[in-house]
Amino acid sequence: MDPIVELKNLRVEFHAQNSGSARKVAIKDLNLKIGAGEVFGFLGPNGAGKTTTMNVLLGFLQPTSGSAFLFGVDVREPIARQRIGFLPESTYYYKFLTAEELLRFYARIFGIPRAVADERIDRLLSLVDLDAARKRTIKTYSKGMQQRVGLAQALMNDPDLLILDEPTSGLDPLGRMKVREIIQRLKNAGKTVFFSSHELGEVETVCDKVAIIHQGELKVEGRVADLMAKHQANLEKIFLDIIGYQPPLAA
Amino acid sequence: MNAIMAIAGVVIKELYRRKDFYVLFVLTAVVTLLLASVKFFDDRNIVRYLKEICLLLIWISALVIAITTAARQIPAERENRTLLSLLAKPVTRGQFIIGKFAGCWLACGFSLVVFYSFFGVVSGSREHSFALPQFLQAFWLQWSMLGIVVALALLGSVVFAAPSSNGTICFVVVGGILLLGRHLNQVALRLPEPRRTLLYTLYFLLPHLEWYDVRDLVVYDQPPVRWAACGLAMLYAGVYTALLLYAAWLVFRRQALNQ
Amino acid sequence: MNRPLTRILILLLLGAGSFSLATVLQSRAVAWSRRGNSDSALEVLLGDGRRLFANHFFVKADISFHSGYYPSIFDQEQAPQDSHHMTEEGSAHRDAAEEAHERQMSFLGPPRDCLERFGRNFMVTQHSHLAGGNEREILPWLRLSAELDPQRVDTYTVASFWLRKRLGKPKEAEQFLREGLRANPNSFEILFELGRLYQEDFHDDTRARNVWELALNRWSDQEAAKKAPDLLVREEIAINLARLEEGAGNFASAVDYLELAKSSSPAAAILQQQIDELKSKMARRENPAGHAP
Repeated sequence: MDPIVELKNLRVEFHAQNSGSARKVAIKDLNLKIGAGEVFGFLGPNGAGKTTTMNVLLGFLQPTSGSAFLFGVDVREPIARQRIGFLPESTYYYKFLTAEELLRFYARIFGIPRAVADERIDRLLSLVDLDAARKRTIKTYSKGMQQRVGLAQALMNDPDLLILDEPTSGLDPLGRMKVREIIQRLKNAGKTVFFSSHELGEVETVCDKVAIIHQGELKVEGRVADLMAKHQANLEKIFLDIIGYQPPLAA
Repeated sequence: MNAIMAIAGVVIKELYRRKDFYVLFVLTAVVTLLLASVKFFDDRNIVRYLKEICLLLIWISALVIAITTAARQIPAERENRTLLSLLAKPVTRGQFIIGKFAGCWLACGFSLVVFYSFFGVVSGSREHSFALPQFLQAFWLQWSMLGIVVALALLGSVVFAAPSSNGTICFVVVGGILLLGRHLNQVALRLPEPRRTLLYTLYFLLPHLEWYDVRDLVVYDQPPVRWAACGLAMLYAGVYTALLLYAAWLVFRRQALNQ
Repeated sequence: MNRPLTRILILLLLGAGSFSLATVLQSRAVAWSRRGNSDSALEVLLGDGRRLFANHFFVKADISFHSGYYPSIFDQEQAPQDSHHMTEEGSAHRDAAEEAHERQMSFLGPPRDCLERFGRNFMVTQHSHLAGGNEREILPWLRLSAELDPQRVDTYTVASFWLRKRLGKPKEAEQFLREGLRANPNSFEILFELGRLYQEDFHDDTRARNVWELALNRWSDQEAAKKAPDLLVREEIAINLARLEEGAGNFASAVDYLELAKSSSPAAAILQQQIDELKSKMARRENPAGHAP
C-alpha cells in the first residue's frame, strides 16, 4: 500500500542570517514513510528540524532538493492538502470571528455542503467542549480554548491525515487527556496521525511508530515497542542517548 | 471559487467588526449635517458647497478604508500566524491574494453604498431633485478606482514589511496621481530632454486615477459621462487591477510563510 | 486614616492647587498671545496661517462661479488674476474685460495626447458662468474666505454684488459690507460698494453721497501718494458721484466729479462729451430764454 506521507532525500537549506554567504542546513537528506492508519510521533530537540519538515509537507516552504508527497501527490499541489488537517504549534485564528464562524469559514474552503458543515460544526464543538462558547469571539478565549478551536478546525474536513505540531502545548492535564482521546479515536477510525511533541510519555502511550531527528538528520525510526525492546530503556532514555546528552558527573 | 469567496467574506466581516468604518461614516455625517445646518446669508437653497464637502469626505474616507484595510491584510495574517492555518488548507497563494482583493474591494463597495446613500439623502432633501445617472456613475467609477488602489496596497503589503510604511506610500502615490496625474504631460512638455521623455513615459505608465473622480460633474450638475467612456474606464481599471494583483502574486509565491 | 477619604482629600488638594495656579497665570497668559482670546474659532485654531486658506476659498468661489471649469496651477498664467470677472458690471470697460476673460478661460486647448483626450470625458470642459439665481452657490466660499481673512476686501465687494444684484438680498449685502467695514474701516472699495447699495437698492441718495464722498477721501489718503494708485476705482467713484449730483440737479458738482474721472480715464473723450452736455444744461438753466445776460 502507498504511504500516506513520503519524504525522499529531503534537503532544506537556509541562508544563515549572521554569517554572510554561509548556508544553514535545516534538513539533511531526510527519508521517511508513514503508512495509512499509523500514529506517528516525530521527535527531536528544539531546532532539530521538526517544524521545518512539517512546513515542507504543508507547502509553506520549498525544499532545496528532494521531494515530499501526501497521498502520492506532490505537496506543491494544493489538492494534496484537501484530505489533511493541521494544528500549528501556536494557535492563532481570526480574533474577530466566533468559533462557529471560523469553522464555517474553513468548511466553505473545503467545499463542504452547508447541511453537512452544520452537523459537523455541532459535533466538533461538542467534542472539544466549546459548545457554550461558540458564539463568543476568539479574542475572548483562553489559550487552552484557542488550542481546542485549533483542534476542531483541524478536524473540520474529516481528514485522513492529521498533522499536529505540539498538540498538547499549553493544555492542562484534562485538555491533554482530551487530545489523547481524540488521537486514539482517529486511530480507531483508521486515520493517520503525524505529530511532533516533547511529551515523550504521551508519545509512548499513543504512537505506533516514532522517528527521532537531531540537527536535521534522521537518527532513528521504528515501532515504539521495538525500539524500547532493542535499547532496553524507555523512550526518554533512548531520546537522550541519541541526541548525545551526557548527564553531569555526580559530585 | 469557494476559497476566494470564503476569504473575501472574512475580510468583509473584519471591516464591519472594526471601528474604522463607523468612525469615518459618523465623522462624514456629523460634518455634513453641521454644515447643512448653517444658513449662509439667510438662504436655505445653497447646496453645492454641501455636496462638494460631503463628496470630498466620502472620497477621503473611502481611500482610508481601502488603503488601511488592504495594507494590513497580509502582514496581519503573517503576524497573527493565521496565514499558516489558512494555507494549510487546499488554498493556493493566488486564491489567497484574489480572495483578499475581493474582500477588500467588496468591503469598499458596501461602504460606498452607505456613504452615497447618505449623500443622496442629504443632496436630495436640499435640491428636491436627484440626478440618478450622474450619481450612479460617480459611485461606479469611484468603486472601480478603489479596485486599483486596493490592488496597489496589496502589492505593497507583500513588498514592504510594515503596514504603516506601505499605507503611507500608497496614500502619497494615490494622492499624487489624483492631484497631478492629469497635468504630468503638461509639465513634461516644459522640460528639456531627457527629463521630458522620462516624465512622459511615467505619465503613460501610471494608472490615471483622476479619471474616476467625477465629483465636479455631480456637484455642478453637469451632464453624465458618455457610457462608452465609462465602460472603457472600467476596462482600464480592470486591466491595471489585474496587473497589480499578478505582480503581488509573483512576489508572494516566492516568499516563505514561516518568517 | 480612612483610605478613600485620603484619596478624596488628595484630589481636592490637587484641584485647589490647579485652580489657584490658573488664577495666577491667567493675567500673564493674556499678555503671551492674543490668539487664545480671540472669539473666532478659526483664529484660535490656525492663527495668522488662516490667511493662506482664505485665498484658496476665494478661488473656490471663482471655481464655483465657473461651475468647475477653471485652470489648474499649471495654467496659472492664464488664471483670472482678479475678481472683476465675477462681477459682470465691472465698469464701462465691460466689453474689453469680457474679451480678456474669454481668452483667459480658453486654457484647455486641443488635447496633447490620447490619454488627455480620453480624460476630458470625465471633467468639466465648458466655460460658463452661474446665472438665474444659482450665483448663491458661491456665497459659502466667500463667507469662509471672509472668516479666514477679514482683511481681504474683494470678498465683501464680490459677495455684496451678487447678493443685491442677482439674489435680491440687499439687507444681507449691507450687513456683510458693514462687517467688512468693521474689519477694514479705511477701505474705499467697501465704501464704494456700500454707496452703490444705498443708491441702487435702497434708493437713498443722501447716504450714497455721504459714503461715496467718504470713499473718495479714503482713496486720497491711501492711494494718491502711491506710484501706481488704483485710478479705476477713483474713476468709478467719481462717475457715480457725478451721476448722483446730476440727478439732484447739482450740475457744477457733477462737472467737477467728471473732470476728476476724466483725468485718468481711457474714455476721456466720452467723459468730455458728458461734461460739455452738463455745461450746456447749466447754461440753459441760467439763461432759460436763451438771452444774453
